[in-house]
This record gives sequence, structure tokens and C-alpha cells, in this order.
Amino acid sequence: MNLGTRKILDRSFTAVGFGSIAVMGIALLIVLAPIIYNGIGSVFFTGTLEHRNMLFNEFGRGDKEELVKENAASEVYRKQIYGMLDAFEAELETMEPEKKQDYLSKYGPVRTALQTLIGPLPGEETAILTRYKYGQTRWEKAEEKLHEFLYEAKWDYSNPDVMAKEYFVSRAAEFEGTSLVKLFPYVEKHLPDVLRPRFTVYWGFLTDSSVDSHIFGGIWPEIQGTFFLAVGAMLFAFPLGVIAAVYFTEYAREGFFNSILRSANSTLAGVPSIVFGLFGLAFFINTLKVSESKSVLAGSLTLAIMILPTIIRAAEEAILSVPKTYKEASLSLGSTKWNTIMTVILPAALPGILTGGVISLGRAAGETAPIIFTAAVSVGSAIGLADVFSSPTPALSWNIYNLASEHEAAAEIRHVQYGMVLALVSIVLLLNLSAIFLRARISKKLKG
Amino acid sequence: MKTMKHVLLLAALFAVAVSSPLSAAGKSIVMDGSTTVGPLAKSFAAYFTRKYGVKVTVSESGSGNGAKSLINRSCDIATMSRAMKAQELVAARKKGVNPVGHTVALDGIAMVVHPGNPVRNLTKAQIADIYKGRITNWNQVGGPTARIVVIQRESNSGTQESFKDLIMGKTAQISKTAETQSSNGAVKNRVSSTRSAIGFLGLGFVDRSVKPVAVNGVLPSPVTVRKGIYPISRPLYMYTNGQPAGSLKTLIDLSKTPDGKRMITELGFVNK
Repeated sequence: MNLGTRKILDRSFTAVGFGSIAVMGIALLIVLAPIIYNGIGSVFFTGTLEHRNMLFNEFGRGDKEELVKENAASEVYRKQIYGMLDAFEAELETMEPEKKQDYLSKYGPVRTALQTLIGPLPGEETAILTRYKYGQTRWEKAEEKLHEFLYEAKWDYSNPDVMAKEYFVSRAAEFEGTSLVKLFPYVEKHLPDVLRPRFTVYWGFLTDSSVDSHIFGGIWPEIQGTFFLAVGAMLFAFPLGVIAAVYFTEYAREGFFNSILRSANSTLAGVPSIVFGLFGLAFFINTLKVSESKSVLAGSLTLAIMILPTIIRAAEEAILSVPKTYKEASLSLGSTKWNTIMTVILPAALPGILTGGVISLGRAAGETAPIIFTAAVSVGSAIGLADVFSSPTPALSWNIYNLASEHEAAAEIRHVQYGMVLALVSIVLLLNLSAIFLRARISKKLKG
Repeated sequence: MKTMKHVLLLAALFAVAVSSPLSAAGKSIVMDGSTTVGPLAKSFAAYFTRKYGVKVTVSESGSGNGAKSLINRSCDIATMSRAMKAQELVAARKKGVNPVGHTVALDGIAMVVHPGNPVRNLTKAQIADIYKGRITNWNQVGGPTARIVVIQRESNSGTQESFKDLIMGKTAQISKTAETQSSNGAVKNRVSSTRSAIGFLGLGFVDRSVKPVAVNGVLPSPVTVRKGIYPISRPLYMYTNGQPAGSLKTLIDLSKTPDGKRMITELGFVNK
């Protein structure tokens, strides 16, 4: 091969390399960008007066005087709206029964739509569920609901041979000729005056408990639950894993039994996580009865078994990569085997062992399947440290799934779901970053 | 210096963990079971915790799992959208568990289609035929020409069991081509995004993204369910081991208090 061809081959290989990195970068961007953008939206958003009222009533947060002033300012416009409703209701009474019935059936949805938009209307009993006590707390949702208030979605069923198409009818047009017709342009124009949108930074999203099953409030119980589960798994798996790795590398003799153990360990690393989940339910809860119900303890144990093989493998690699000369030097000085392991081999292998550990910690934090049956619940308050032996806990991974599929108002609270996803991704990322950091520091210390 | 830093960091982490309230007052209540009863259980739990200070956790894993949890004594209340089956009762007795059912609310199983589907009414026989796979196209029931995408729930679901009992009869088999979704929310998502789909949901889950069809000419609504006119309705249960006492009783009896009744109504379920 002449030099020219080799250069071309060399360059094209470099190009392919760069190309694949670029593709990976773009893929990562496509995955992460919406998560980050929408996730940040759960903390930084344009909040309405309803949000500030909710925070004050539910969490006692906010400036009371300021809030009173704002509510008074909003009330000016609300009064106008309520006045229009009253006027129309009075007008209804004067109509002929047939016409009244017709308008009544259209008026009900208007009231409901208005209520969803700006909160409970006067003359109605206060709702028990917090979700019906407030109007829209986020401005972008309020704009969506404003559209639903102004236009009614209808389906064109005129041709029964095809699937109908959706079209929108202006509600104002349906009330043409009545006093209610003024309401629609008024609400459209003055909605900002009623809801008073303002840029809001809601750190409480990370530190508050949820109100009315995640419709308001934050995700602290989930974050805490994830933390407990991951750390708990680590407490069990890490010491066990390191001890097993020491056995495999230093004590075990090559033989049939040992090779079976090793392949069992490798197989365990490839078992799907749901199998661990079912195993955890059957073994820890139903057989051993480590707790009466699902609990953090049972979940941690299950997760620990799941991450154990990874930790063993990482620790084994780390121990094997310690230069043999270290060990020989230690032994030649008269040190015992045990002493050599504790004072020479393990410290030298520590960076590698820790990296494996922290990466497994990230995996434990993110797994859903092992905790479905052993630890996770869809609603529960933050638990104290003493409760980990008996109480189940909400956890980010499971609640993301729950909000995506099972929650009755899933479409309304996508921002909470994104917030949870971002929180989980951040936690895992932070753990991995700290692994890199820790490794760098310890290696430096060992060298220096 | 470095070790100092590490110690401080660890101490800070520990402090964060411990500063959370150490222990709840009394034992917490664990609820497990139906995704249909889920919204109700979650609202009851939140209300109960706020009013009485007793912690309540709720999992939504399906009625079947709720029953299993109660039999294994791993939950205090099993929420179920069907009554316990004979074999479950037998299994419970064997383990010394005595399941006692409490009807907390009524619920209709709404047959839902995409809002663009012009079909307004189906008879029970038609629905049964659709799920048996005998009717496979919407044009056989007065709709446009489109293959019906049949959506059912998983075997663990109480809604599925009730649906089979009320519509198909005990022995009939649901067509093998039916697609399975594992929660009410998932069925709703699938139907609202698939023009030719049909599925069934607890009444509390029906919103504008799907269209309920009338069954035998009756639309599902709290009124038609309460009056017993709507043909596919069933009670929602909370099962306890033995007669409930103390806070467990208070929680279950919430459904009889005015506030509890309001919650049931606000969530779209029906008071018995």
C-alpha cells in the first residue's frame, strides 16, 4: 500500500470516528434537550395568582399583605365576570322554558370551563379535593384552558362512513343575542388581570410534598425515597461485593466450584430487573417477612442483590489491576495475607472499587422493576429514617411511570412528570460525576 | 484537613437524612390494589392524613395484586374493583386471613371510543361480539369501514373481570387479537390516540379525550349508574382482614361521611 492510500484510509477512519461521536452527541441532545427544557419548566415557569394562593394556603409560604393586595386587584375583574354570569342567569329566568332549557345545556359547560380557568365561582360549595379549589396555576396551561373556554371542540359526524374530524365552534356565537356574549371577549382580554401571571421560581417543587396526588406541590417524598433506596442498597451490596471480590481474587483456588461461582455471578448480572423484583416479593416479603408490607428495607435488599454482581466484577477488576509487586513487597516484609489485603491491596484498588460502587448506586436509583412489588407506592408522605424498616415509599423511577400511565389526570400534570425525570437524571449524573471526582482525588493521593 | 472535609460532608449528609421526622405517630396504613379505585384511595389517603395525622400509602397495582397482598398480610386495605373470587377467599382462609368487603362507591364501566368515531350506541351483544372477535369492523355496527382495535386490561385487573362477568359471561374467551393495556390511564391514552379503538374504563377516568358510547341506549353517568339503568356497573370495594377497627375503620367509613361522599362525586364515581 502506498503512502497516499494509507493517509486517505487514516483520515477516513478519523472522519468516521468524529462522525459517530457527532451522531451520539446529537442523539443525546435529542433525548436530553426536551427533558431538561420541560423539566426546568417545573421549577421556573410563569405562575399565576392561583399558584401563589395555593402556596400560601397549602404551605403557608408567601407575603400575606402582597397577596391580599393582588387578590383585591384581581377581584375587580372577577366581579365583572361574576356580574355577567349573574346577569345571564337572571336573563335565563325570563326566557321561555324551551329556549331556557336549550341555553342551560350550553351554559353548564361554560361555567365548568370558566371554573377550570379561574377557580371556583361564587355560590358554589367549596370543593373537598384541592384540585378543584384553584384555577390554573401555570400560565401556559391557563392559555390552553382559555382556548377551551372560548371554543367548543365538536366532531363532525355528518358522514357516518368516515371517522369524524374535530372542529371548533366559538362559544360566543352560540350565545349570540344574550347578555352572556360579552363575557367571552372580556375574559379573553382580562385574563392576565385576573390571574396576574408572573415569572415564578418554585424551588418548593424539589422540597415540598405533593398536594392532591401530584396535581400541586412538589416531589420531595420521591426524591427522598430514591435516596433511601439507593443508599440502602449500597449499604448491603458494597461490603458484600468487596468481600466477595477479595475472596475471588485472593483466596479462591481455581477449580470447578469456583468457576461455577464465577459464571453464576456473570449470569446474575444479566438477569432482567423485573425478575429481581418478583424474587424480592417472594423471598424478602412473603418468605422472610423482613417487613409487614412493602418497605424501603425490602426494596433496598432487592436492589442490593441486583447490583451485587456489578460491584463484585468492578471490585475484582480493581483488585486484579493492583501491581503484583505491591503484594510481594508487603509479604516479603513479613506481613500476613490478611494484613496485606487490608493495608496494601484494598487501598490501592479503592478508586476502581468506588467507581464501580457509585455507578451501581446510580443504577439502583434509576431502576423501576425491582421496587414495584417491594417498595414503591404511588402516594405516600416522606418517611423518616426510623420508618425505613416498615414503610414503603414513593420513588422517582416508579412515580414517573405512574404519572405517565396510571394517573387520572396524567395529561394535566406533564410538567411534574418531566420535573421528576430531570430530577432522576440529575441525581444519577451527579452520582456518576462524584465517582469520577472521587476516583481522581484518591488516585492523586495514592501517587502523591 | 482533607479528612476533616470528608467527615464534615458525611455529617452533613447524615444530618439531612435524620432531620426528616424520625417516626410517624402510630402505625401507617398501607393500601394496595385496583387502579380504578386508585384516585379514590389517593384522595381518601390525603384527606385522612391531613385530618387525623395517620400516614397512608397507596399503591395501584391492580385488584388481583390487592387481593394477594391482603392474603399475604402485606397490606391493611385491599382496594378492589371486583368482589373477591372464591379461590381467593379459600387461599385467604388457609392463611388465617378473613377478608371482609366494604362497598365504598359504585362505578360504571364506560365503553369508550375515539371522539372521532361516529358510533353512539352499542348493545351488550355487540360489545360481546366485538370482544369475542366476531365483529371485527366498525361498519358492522353502523360505523365507518375501519378494523376495530380491541383493547382489554391485564388479567390482574378487576375492571377486566367485571367486564367479562357483566358482558361476556363467565366462560367466554376474549379474542386473542385484543391488545392488553395495564391501567385505566393506559387504555385512555391508547383509545384517545387510535381512531378505530374501543376500550373500557372506570367512569372516573372518562374525560374529553375519549367518547363514551351508550350501552343498550344508556349513556354511562353517575345518575344512570346509581339508578342501576346503566348495564355495566359494579361496586368498588375496600377489603380488610376481619372487621376493621380504630383508624382503619375511620378510613373506610370516610365513604359514609359527607366529605367522603363529596370526594367520591368530585372524582366522578357514584355514591351508593
